[in-house]
Amino acid sequence: MNFSTFRSVFRPVGSITRFGQATVPRQNAPSIRPSTTPITGTSSFSSTANLQKRKRGGAPTDPRIKAIRYFLYHPLTPRPLHFSRLRYLRHWTIHRAWMLFLRKRRRAEELELERQYNSMRAACEHLRLMDSNGMLVSEAEAGGQGPDAMRLGVKGREVGRLYRAAMIKRGVYGSVPIEYARCQTDFPSRDGWNHEWTRE
Amino acid sequence: MNTGQQTTRRLAARAGRSVCWSCKDTLSRKYASAAAAALPTDDQSLQHIPPVAQPSSQDSYGIKTGVVLSRPPQITRDLHPLESAFFLYQRRLNERTALPFTRYFYYKKRTAADLEWKRKIKQRLTPARDIGRYKGYGEESWNDELLMGAKESDIHHQVEKLIEDAEQTGAQDGDEAEPVPGASNSKKEEEKIERPMPRVTEADLKNDVKSLNRQLQRTLYLLVKNQEGRWIFPQDTFAQETLHSAAGRVLTESCGENMHTWVVGNAPIGYYQQDYQNPIKTLSGLRELGAKTFFMKARIMAGQANLEGNKLGLTDFKWLAKEEVQGEVDKSYWHSVKNMLAER
Repeated sequence: MNFSTFRSVFRPVGSITRFGQATVPRQNAPSIRPSTTPITGTSSFSSTANLQKRKRGGAPTDPRIKAIRYFLYHPLTPRPLHFSRLRYLRHWTIHRAWMLFLRKRRRAEELELERQYNSMRAACEHLRLMDSNGMLVSEAEAGGQGPDAMRLGVKGREVGRLYRAAMIKRGVYGSVPIEYARCQTDFPSRDGWNHEWTRE
Repeated sequence: MNTGQQTTRRLAARAGRSVCWSCKDTLSRKYASAAAAALPTDDQSLQHIPPVAQPSSQDSYGIKTGVVLSRPPQITRDLHPLESAFFLYQRRLNERTALPFTRYFYYKKRTAADLEWKRKIKQRLTPARDIGRYKGYGEESWNDELLMGAKESDIHHQVEKLIEDAEQTGAQDGDEAEPVPGASNSKKEEEKIERPMPRVTEADLKNDVKSLNRQLQRTLYLLVKNQEGRWIFPQDTFAQETLHSAAGRVLTESCGENMHTWVVGNAPIGYYQQDYQNPIKTLSGLRELGAKTFFMKARIMAGQANLEGNKLGLTDFKWLAKEEVQGEVDKSYWHSVKNMLAER
């Protein structure tokens, strides 16, 4: 198989000038268009591309299709795993251990989220049932909850003022600072934490 | 009836730490109902008995905002030994099943990069750079498992191999490129690639609890020491604000303004209710039975706490991970705080 067919496909346009081996004219460079057949200027009476018409032996296959074929029908493509009996047993054991490990870890994460959620919920519920003096009132006297959070109870605005303020969602998602998008890395940064940061 | 009242009251007073939560609760409730029944008897006893069952307009709780200021983890967590072993096992097995690396995809023929690739693949036999010497083809392809305790399974060894690969061109003594004087010179002139910083920092070694460079894989929480000498999250009373705005104010008033922080949401993530031994009279004539602290979650992105001139009378601060928080705070405080803190 002639490998040079692939080269033009995956070579970036900039590299043509860099290596100084640009024998191929610019028109022949792969088109970035989404269509599978590269059309480089058609005449008014023919729907065939000029370059395609000039070549003998029919239209050339799209280089991308060539690449796909190359990988599909590579002589080494089916590489089945042949394990001996003991090796297979070992592999199975490793797999089971990994599955158990994953399950345990997921369960732990789930429980942790649940704990945090319940803590939040208890705090919000306490706020809802609390009057302006900080004392709890009965369920009948308190306002609504959930989607009905803004409904006032029998006692009116005095009960659950902080709860209603806490349930406001406006601007919550727009306030996330860009620094918060920093992702974790495997190794810390060279400068470490910026302790000397000052507000301007 | 009075004597019975006395005994329950004495019991309730004595039931400091030795009686469990639920028993204490029942005791105080019994006492309260007795007090409510005793209401119409005489005025003098009425003054001493706080009626709890029917909260009158006289009673109140102080409401406070606490801020759980946390520094998110900076680096990835340490892998569990099973995880690291399993990942290496899978990567080596992948070399056995994957299609051959197609050089012509990535390297142009007879370029420097292509030659370098050819030299390197001859040495390490596999496209992956950090899994050790293994060839997925031919006679030895079955031998993809590493022995226990092999040096390739060490994370430091893998990192070293990656750096080494980036540093060298693969040219060795006895290579065909060796006789060329330019090539041997260029090998010596290879630029050194910077080693990554260690995951255990100086602050960890010194156990500097004020530094934010410690415990990089954990969430750190800011604890402050108040006037009474107790370690708590920074907190303050507030009147007309919302929890969110009060949290921002508490942060500035306690730890200075030179911290780049973000109060995450409007809703609290937990609360702590403290009941006073003796109710105190507030300025507005109410009897304060205790205080309720609602905690808001906040993150720090830069800067450091500075307690100089804080308005809340704080004397000291620490950045601690979750287990370390448990060691510092009161038992009852920890009881109501532990569920809102992240494990990692």
